[in-house]
Amino acid sequence: MPVKYGVPSDPDYTERLAEFEARIKRGEKIEPGDWMPEEYRRQLIRMISQHAHSEVVGMLPEGAWITRAPTLKRKMILVAKVQDEAGHGQYLYHAAETLGVSREAMLDALLSGKAKYSSIFNYPTLTWADIGTIGWLVDGAAIKNQTMLAACSYGPYSRAMVRICAEETFHHKQGKEMVLLYAKGTPKQRQMAQDAINRWWWPALMMMGPHDKDSPNTEVLVRWGIKTKTNDQVRQEFINEHAPEILEAGLTLPDPDLRYDEQTGNWLHGPINWDEFWQVVGGNGPMNKERLEARRRAHAEGAWVREALEAYAAKQQKTAVAV
Amino acid sequence: MRPEVREALIAKLTALADDEVILAHRNSEWTGHGPILEEDIALANIVQDELGHATLWYGLRQALDGSDPDRLAFFRDAYEYRNCELVELPKGDWAFTMLRQFLFDLYETLWLEAAQHSTYQPLAEAVQKIMREERFHLQHTYAWVERLGLGTEESNRRLQQALDMQWGYAQQLFVPIPGEELLVAEGIVPDLAPIKARWLELATRHLQNSGLKLPINPGYQPTSRAGHTEHLWSILAEMQSTARWDAEAKVW
Amino acid sequence: MDTQWPRWEVFKQDTPSKPHQAVGSVHAADPQHALLTARNIFARRPQAVSMWVARADDIFSWTKEEIAEGQLKAESHEARGLQHPAKYLAFRKTSHKRSMTFVDYVGEVEATTPEEALRKAQATFTDAEALAWWLVPAARVFKSDPSPQTIESWFAPAKDKTYKQQQYYATIGAHVSKHKVGRGVEDEA
Ligand SMILES: [Fe+2]
Ligand SMILES: [Fe+2]
Ligand SMILES: [Fe+2]
Repeated sequence: MPVKYGVPSDPDYTERLAEFEARIKRGEKIEPGDWMPEEYRRQLIRMISQHAHSEVVGMLPEGAWITRAPTLKRKMILVAKVQDEAGHGQYLYHAAETLGVSREAMLDALLSGKAKYSSIFNYPTLTWADIGTIGWLVDGAAIKNQTMLAACSYGPYSRAMVRICAEETFHHKQGKEMVLLYAKGTPKQRQMAQDAINRWWWPALMMMGPHDKDSPNTEVLVRWGIKTKTNDQVRQEFINEHAPEILEAGLTLPDPDLRYDEQTGNWLHGPINWDEFWQVVGGNGPMNKERLEARRRAHAEGAWVREALEAYAAKQQKTAVAV
Repeated sequence: MRPEVREALIAKLTALADDEVILAHRNSEWTGHGPILEEDIALANIVQDELGHATLWYGLRQALDGSDPDRLAFFRDAYEYRNCELVELPKGDWAFTMLRQFLFDLYETLWLEAAQHSTYQPLAEAVQKIMREERFHLQHTYAWVERLGLGTEESNRRLQQALDMQWGYAQQLFVPIPGEELLVAEGIVPDLAPIKARWLELATRHLQNSGLKLPINPGYQPTSRAGHTEHLWSILAEMQSTARWDAEAKVW
Repeated sequence: MDTQWPRWEVFKQDTPSKPHQAVGSVHAADPQHALLTARNIFARRPQAVSMWVARADDIFSWTKEEIAEGQLKAESHEARGLQHPAKYLAFRKTSHKRSMTFVDYVGEVEATTPEEALRKAQATFTDAEALAWWLVPAARVFKSDPSPQTIESWFAPAKDKTYKQQQYYATIGAHVSKHKVGRGVEDEA
């Protein structure tokens, strides 16, 4: 099917762009095969593939604790959760593939270090309470973002997000359940939960990305219905939900400036250390090298497996033709 | 139930559960590191199912002697575990893991089919639940053995190596535990001998159809489930590290 | 070389009275492997009773916009050996509503080319306006075994995995609101 990706030099670009934007305004979904600006496609591929990589790399910090989960039930839950993240990666690669980019190409970009993924996964998981905290805070932050993206204008991305959101709620709840339990638990459990909250709170706030004024893509993403909220809006929603719940659980947050603002109904936070954020994005987080290395190793060690199945399929096809 | 039958049943349920726990542990080491995303997801399904089966078996034991499943899994040491040695072996490459899973799934499916009519109702009911999942596992690992065996020279070689390593260990699945004859006599669990014959027949046929040769010298064949490989200690040390970290903790 | 295996679209049927719906895709090496993989990925949670898979390359798709612009020619179907009368399965999307699925199965048509299959589908399934169409040669669609035993084995166990459902953790919401009643409750802990 001749897919049209429009560029401003096309003679009918202005006219088609107007039609396209009108469709988005009407709440129609853009589907593969429809006309779309090349820039819309480019932004989507960038966002979706980054998002997919984040799900896949995100398996690693939590996956590391599967073999150390303290009960059979927690172990099952954690395997199911990490498996869901693989599934999310899989749904998202699918969404990006509908824009004419192959999964192989996206993986190459990840493994060569060209593509980005959420920098939160470049922090280490030091104790079992990190698992609960990641579910509660990191998945909690992700859900805020994903709920917004479920309304996005590109059909395949929106559908992937609806499916993902339905699954994420479980991640969030199992994490919250754990932290609340440990907050009321033994002194060691309490201390472990508090330590985990201390370490993950700020990175979780950074997950929504830079402040709006430093986020150059936001404007066009909002106009084309890819994003429907800004980074700061999503971050504020996250804090408003999580800060009071954490405090009410008897835990503290590592932000001396955090306070409830009666006027706006918002929980206001202190300054975020963007220097740390950019360091981690730039490859200098504690786990950047290790995470990427783990993905590279899995990909390389899996090569003979993928080849074997291709060879088997080719042989089957030959015999089928011969018969 | 006579006390000696009850004791034997407790021991058998423990052995069934321990196999699942340790095998699930080994397979779970792949999560996040599989050869392709789709297979990462597939193996994680198997892990969840196995943990579910272990929970069911420990649960049946709990009904008999009140022991807590998590205490059994996380607070017994290598002396007390009663799993077979096959499941302790390090996960190896994808061929090693898929072959072990195939050999085990085939054994488990055949055992479950024979155990469907157990005279012990709670066991018969658990079997019905578990069997559904095992049928799917077997389809999945059956397909993998065929594809790796008939895929490339390399995949065939790796699978053959795995078979040479595992064949002897797998025979332990058919060694009755002490007292098992009492359970068989009461119709509580099936006799392992005919299951082994069927397993040998089906495994041999599928492995040979997949371009593999059964090892002429099967190698070491463990018998007693009181014995273990040198790996179990480390598996348990890792697996139990969180649960044992806080002696006061009542719930996790 | 692309080592990610070909892509297969997956159609899942939730209950016997519902149509098969396009839920996403999997990468797999051969049809049987694709079906097993589809089950592993799209039946982790209830519900399902049947699954179909078809290679992405075997699917002919049109959006409403493409049809309006007269872009009816399906790409390279001659090369795919599809010039004989054959059965096609028709799938259609009819709403812009937020959803997890794309096109739904509507029925079969017989045609000599994919374009003819599209025209016939448009003429046959007229109960709702189509926003997108997929036509797939029936011979290229692989289906899960419909026997009750397979349905039990493939799709029933997901129902018992309640720990993957958010309702399983329903009590924790209540727990937090209990804390919200009065500050100072923390002191008890
Ligand atoms: Fe996710
Ligand atoms: Fe998640
Ligand atoms: Fe099992």
